[in-house]
This record gives sequence, C-alpha cells and structure tokens, in this order.
Amino acid sequence: MYTNRGSALLAAVLLLCLLTACGNKQAAGRSESLFAMDTYFDLTIYDGQAEAALDAAAHMIRRLEDLWSVTRENSELYTLNHSGGLPVELSSETEDLLARALALAEETRGAFDPTVYPLLTAWGFTTQTYRIPAQEEIDGLLQYTGYSRVQMQGNRVSLPEKVQLDFGGIAKGYTGGQLARMLRREYGVTSALLNLGGNVQAVGSKPDGSRWRIGIRDPRTGGVLGILEAADTAVVTSGGYERHFTGEDGQAYCHIIDPATGYPVKNDVLSVTVVGADGAVCDALSTALFVMGADMAADYWRIHGDFEMILLKDCQTIYITDGLAGAFSLEPGQRQWTVQIISNEA
Amino acid sequence: MRVLSPQENTRVDILQDGAALYHLDISQEGNRTISIEYQGRTNLIEICDGRIRVAEADCPDQLCVQMGWLQNSGLPVVCLPNRLVIQYAQSPDGLDAIS
Repeated sequence: MYTNRGSALLAAVLLLCLLTACGNKQAAGRSESLFAMDTYFDLTIYDGQAEAALDAAAHMIRRLEDLWSVTRENSELYTLNHSGGLPVELSSETEDLLARALALAEETRGAFDPTVYPLLTAWGFTTQTYRIPAQEEIDGLLQYTGYSRVQMQGNRVSLPEKVQLDFGGIAKGYTGGQLARMLRREYGVTSALLNLGGNVQAVGSKPDGSRWRIGIRDPRTGGVLGILEAADTAVVTSGGYERHFTGEDGQAYCHIIDPATGYPVKNDVLSVTVVGADGAVCDALSTALFVMGADMAADYWRIHGDFEMILLKDCQTIYITDGLAGAFSLEPGQRQWTVQIISNEA
Repeated sequence: MRVLSPQENTRVDILQDGAALYHLDISQEGNRTISIEYQGRTNLIEICDGRIRVAEADCPDQLCVQMGWLQNSGLPVVCLPNRLVIQYAQSPDGLDAIS
C-alpha cells in the first residue's frame, strides 16, 4: 500500500511538473523582436494576455519613438530642438520624461546631462563619421550645453537657440518601465522579460518562480563576465565599448561624453550596470556613474542608495554594492577578476 | 520563442526585421556564404567551420562586421541599419538576457 501511495504521489508530482513545466525547460512564452530607438528590442511574455500585450507593447514603443526621435523631422523632440528659442507645449509623456531627465541631471550634478547632443554630433557619434574636434570648437559648443539652460514650467519648455535635447541616455529605460507597468495593469502579465538593446526590464520572475539569469558583458571580449539573478527590476549597463573609435592620434574615444569637459570619458571605469526599480533612473544613472569614475560612483551610491550597481573597473576589479552580493556570480573562466563589495561602512 | 538549455548550442536563426529568414544548424552546414538584401543594401554572411559571422556589409557603421563570429555566450550579431540579427535559437548558457 505504502509503495502504491508513493508511486501515486510520484505520478502526481510528475504530472504537476508537466503542467507547470518545471525542471530544465522554460515554459513557452510569446516573443517579438523589433528595431526601434536605434537598437534591437526583444520582448518575451510568459503569461497574461500575452499576444495582445505584445501588440500593445510594440505600439507603445513606436509611439514613444515617434515622439522622441532626435532625427525625424516630425517628432516632438525635433520640433522642440528647432523651436528657435520659443516656448513649446509638450505632450504629457514628453513632459514627464523631460522632468525626470532634468531631475536626474540635477541629482547627478550634471554627470548625466540630456543636452550633450551637439557634442556627440561634433565627435561624429551621431553619424559614425568620427573626428576629434578642435578645442575651440568644443569650448564653443559647451556654451550651448548644460541642463540648466533648459527652461521648463509645467508642460511649457523653452530651449535657447542652438541648445538641443536628446533622450538617448534615458528613453529606453523609461520605455521599459512604462511597458512593464502597462503589461501588469492592462494585460495581467506577471512574468515577462523586455530586452531593449541591453536595457533589461524584468516583469516579475520566470514562469517557474525563479529569478531571471542576466549575463553581464565582459567589456573586453563581448562575452559574459558573470551572471546576475534578478526579479522585477530593471538592469541597465553603460560601457565605453559599445561605440568607440580610434582617433588619428591613436587614442580610443568612447561614445559617452563627459558633459563637464566635452570630451569622451576616459577614466578607470569599463562599464557600469545599474539595478533598480525604475528603468529611467537605471538608464540615466548608468551613464552618470560611468562619467563619475569608480570612487565617486561608489560614494554616490552610499549617499543615494536607492539602486544597486556592478561596476567593472580597470585592473580587473569589480565593485558590487552589497545589496547584490548574493545575486551575482562570476563565470568559471573569469576568476582573475577581484570582487570588492561596496558597503555603507567604508 | 526560445527554450533555455545549457546543452550544445548550434542552432542559429537569421532574422530580418524580426522575421526569421533562416533556421540553421551551423554544426551541420558546409562552409558557405549567404547574401541577404535589405532595401538595396546587402549583408554577406559567412559560415565557416561551424561558426557564423557577417563577413561584409554595406551599412555605414560596420558594427555587424566588427562584432566578428557569433559567440556562444555573447550578444547576437546585429546590423541595425539593415535590420539583421543573427542569434542562437536557444539562449546561450541558460541566460535570459545580456546587459
């Protein structure tokens, strides 16, 4: 009798396994990939009204892209950037994004700055026609950059002439956050992974309840350095390796501009991954912390503390804030890196 | 739709604008090239000894060519201007995403 009951239990467990797809195999999800916002989006939804949710997500992405494209002549951002100093009334979404971008610029004392676009253009990063601008040219452009030049009152914004905004350092993270909210509220989704060109937004956990496994890139090889286990959070990485060029002087120049100097960042940081509840914050902070350098970034975390980070530094050192210490593991072939846990007591 | 599996990973999809053009098992493919057009522009994909890459492209940034061979534990090879993606059909190393 006992063995019979045992095998009945085993059969029940096996059946449950089949129904819930436990074990190695992931429950099937619905996926969609699309090109938008200058990158490759890969969305996978595992529950809720997945099919309708994917349609709505693609629709939202296209709508936001239409608002915030810096190059499309009919985008709201383009209109604002070519307003000749006159005030412009913003849509509620652009107002929200710009208000948050300016608040993050303020909080990071300009390490994140949505007005560096003229400098990115001068260095050729917007057209892939790379060049090293003369110092006078950079000095001249610095007169037209700086977030404090943006005047915003409610939904009315004016930009002085030649000042240009771009949301490249925040829009993808913001979009990830908006998508996650919509999927939860309107489509009953509790398990989805939204990968917006390396800006990862996790909705809930995997269908089996375990955390998502997110590879953190090795900035030198493009392979995986380690794995972060995460649920219900945004994970955004900024690295100098994404877009860079070697100038005629033989120096490497990365696509992240230090708003203070107008030059591409050159410091002890290889990449910064920011993990937190809000995709827009993670996106903007990953850039800002990269600009700050390793030790200032650690200090910024100690003061603000509402996010976690993995910072890859020169000399194969990794700074990990203590909230992530148990969630990150180095890949077997990467043990030459030294992990340093950053805590509040340092 | 991708299934996670840590086992051998040789099945590769080539996508254009999100739609699958080829499903390949690159361990079974002979060495060859595949030319893929998008709006008059071309990516030349090379399969060689069980590896795959974009060998030539007439996109302005050449990032897809610079990415080199598709890596088992890396990012998909992407050509943004030509909306081309080469990726493993199964996500590598049981990973759900790479940041």
